[in-house]
Amino acid sequence: MHSRLLIGLLMLLFGLPFGLLGLLALAQGWHFPQALPPAYSLAALRTLGAADSELLAGLGRSLLLAGTVALLATAGGFGVARAVARSRWSRQWEAASYLPYALPPVLLATLVQPFIIRLQLSGSGGGVVLGLLLVALPFATLLLRSFWSVQAREYEQLARTLGCSARQAFGRVLLPLAWPLLRTTLFQTFLLAWFDFGLTNVLSVGKVRTLTVQVFSYVGEANTALAAVASLLLVLPPALLLGLNRTALWRRPG
Amino acid sequence: MALDIRRFFSTTLLGGYGLLVLGLPLAGLGYALLGSLGLAGPLAAGFTPRYWLALGANAGLLYSALFSTWVALVSVGVSVALALSLVLRAQPTLRRWPLPGLLYVPLLLPALVLAFCLFQLLSGAGWLARLSYGLEWIGSPADFPELVQDSAGLGIILAQVLLTFPFLTLLLQAIYQESRLDELRQLSSTLGASAGQFRGRVAVPLLLRRAAPTLLLNFIATLGAYDVPLLLGRPHPQMLSVFVATRQQFDLRELPMGYLAGFLVALGLLALIGILIKLTRRHAL
Repeated sequence: MHSRLLIGLLMLLFGLPFGLLGLLALAQGWHFPQALPPAYSLAALRTLGAADSELLAGLGRSLLLAGTVALLATAGGFGVARAVARSRWSRQWEAASYLPYALPPVLLATLVQPFIIRLQLSGSGGGVVLGLLLVALPFATLLLRSFWSVQAREYEQLARTLGCSARQAFGRVLLPLAWPLLRTTLFQTFLLAWFDFGLTNVLSVGKVRTLTVQVFSYVGEANTALAAVASLLLVLPPALLLGLNRTALWRRPG
Repeated sequence: MALDIRRFFSTTLLGGYGLLVLGLPLAGLGYALLGSLGLAGPLAAGFTPRYWLALGANAGLLYSALFSTWVALVSVGVSVALALSLVLRAQPTLRRWPLPGLLYVPLLLPALVLAFCLFQLLSGAGWLARLSYGLEWIGSPADFPELVQDSAGLGIILAQVLLTFPFLTLLLQAIYQESRLDELRQLSSTLGASAGQFRGRVAVPLLLRRAAPTLLLNFIATLGAYDVPLLLGRPHPQMLSVFVATRQQFDLRELPMGYLAGFLVALGLLALIGILIKLTRRHAL
């Protein structure tokens, strides 16, 4: 009995935002004190199909930015984690990797903004990618650090002893072994960039209109229908990732 | 030769990495310090301590710090209490479908989207206010209690709890299983301990000690939250990230004060992390 009540309560609590977003996306002329929309319309959803759809452009921009950050952070993190594991100052490098976490992303963005401006990257996608990498690269490094253990080195040495070149040992032995962790890192860094609003908004001065920036902008304009559609679009990739791999959503470096 | 090339590649890679993750933030911190002293930034006109002296007359930053601490303490405290009670009192339900999968659902929501939903739900003209009006509990939106953009930060706290407690429940449940707490419970029961004694003297201390680093990161993340307070907070008092970002974005004359606030908040957070890491290490299992 208690168990069913608990499950019912949590389903209601967690389902409510999704139900509300659906209603807001479809509602037409829904004002106080109406508890339910007086009419429904697909107008907000149809904007996605328009040739000059700002939402569709935002979706593409967000996918491109998050995809680029995920690829760069995962590939870079794999290499850096290997270098960290083999460095004499391994523990110090690991400790240093926590620095970007110590500071909230928006604070980090305000601190590095003068340099982004000097590099003439302010308001550009490149500046946002650099800012996001500041958080995503150390995150990937910490997550992938666990792979470069003594065991990985022994596997590599074994492959070399058996006649593999350095490239073959990397491509045919180490990469397949690391693939599950690399996949998780790819998912997590993608989500990190996908969910980001503050850092992107500060570094791009609102010019790089990703989906999160658009949600905020539509909320400011009191355009709840488009804000709801943009919000639903934001939920889609994480939902797909959840279907593919649960650990993609909650594994943390440690 | 090949070894030398690999070492050179490794050193270069680490150098570049250090420049990005250490060099850039630390240079930003230095720039903020110089900016607060009038030595850097677009308004730089030579050394002046006036922005530092103005801190004494302007309590905005202090209020922001206190407000952020209040929100972070209550949010993390409530989230931990909820997660602990689920893990310790609903163990069979937590292992059965659909709860393990259900707890992942809030992790799909970006903080900004959850804040938007809560605003639509809890504001004076929101969905709960409409239901209350329909039930004749209120006569106008103004009669509905202030649950968002309120002085106590209730809306922000609620959003942070909804974002944090499912994650903490998954984390504590994983620790519960890894630490074989079920077996410990049976053992303590055989030795005569009550269920309450097992929870209070064995399970809770063990779970909290093992989860301490993550709880610490969560506390820091909530302290520096931006998306949720931007939508659900009010202009005064602001949470720290909003306070710093607003001063650096909108008014050029406020820029040195923004640099000063950014410098002090970053330094304060680094010091806090240092202290908390020492404490968690000292009390670690």
